[in-house]
Amino acid sequence: MFEIEFTAGDHIAVAGRLDAAQAVKAQEFLDRVDGQCVLDLAELEYISSAGLGVLLKTHKRLMGSGSGIKLVNVNHHIHDIFRYSGFDKLFEIVPATG
Amino acid sequence: MEQKFKRNFDEIKNIVAMTEAFFRQEGLPAGLRTVVDLATEELFVNMVTYNTESNEDILIRMMPHEHGIEVSLTDYNVDRFDPTNAAAVDVDAPLEERTPGGLGLYLVMKMVDSIHYEYRNRKSKITFIVDRE
Repeated sequence: MFEIEFTAGDHIAVAGRLDAAQAVKAQEFLDRVDGQCVLDLAELEYISSAGLGVLLKTHKRLMGSGSGIKLVNVNHHIHDIFRYSGFDKLFEIVPATG
Repeated sequence: MEQKFKRNFDEIKNIVAMTEAFFRQEGLPAGLRTVVDLATEELFVNMVTYNTESNEDILIRMMPHEHGIEVSLTDYNVDRFDPTNAAAVDVDAPLEERTPGGLGLYLVMKMVDSIHYEYRNRKSKITFIVDRE
């Protein structure tokens, strides 16, 4: 299962497993985003390099126009993958609480 | 537990189902799942993406290991490609220099506890171990 949808304002909720089979769906959605956005990853269970590639491509595009992606509610499993990937140096990341 | 999978990303959900079943059967801690899922997917995707000369299914075998779990992926009728020799990724590079390429295998090498590659008779087999936390 993988879901991505606008919630309120510039917030986008991402849920489930963002793997190689779902990366196209995620990329098609994020290609429609214009300007600063906040990805709420509270319900994201898993991400592989295919999903990381989607985030990286979108962040680079948005940074080119002076905005970017902020990642919030990041659980520690996902945060470990961001840290190993060096994404903690590229994105503003807000860990999940509790 | 072992199962063969078609050379298609749609099989990832079936690989996840196999992994869930194996963890349940062996009573393995859920904390190992992220690393096992990630390493298995990245190696499977690498085989599907780059070993395009083969039409044969990919065999995935999961076994309990003294300290955790051992997983092997075997690809048949393919050229040699040792993922343990994949080029390093500069994870400290600035955003403008970063590309997604190579990140999957880099993560596998960083996150599993050991990994081993064998190639014989056009059979390519990669085995990794993830220890209990």
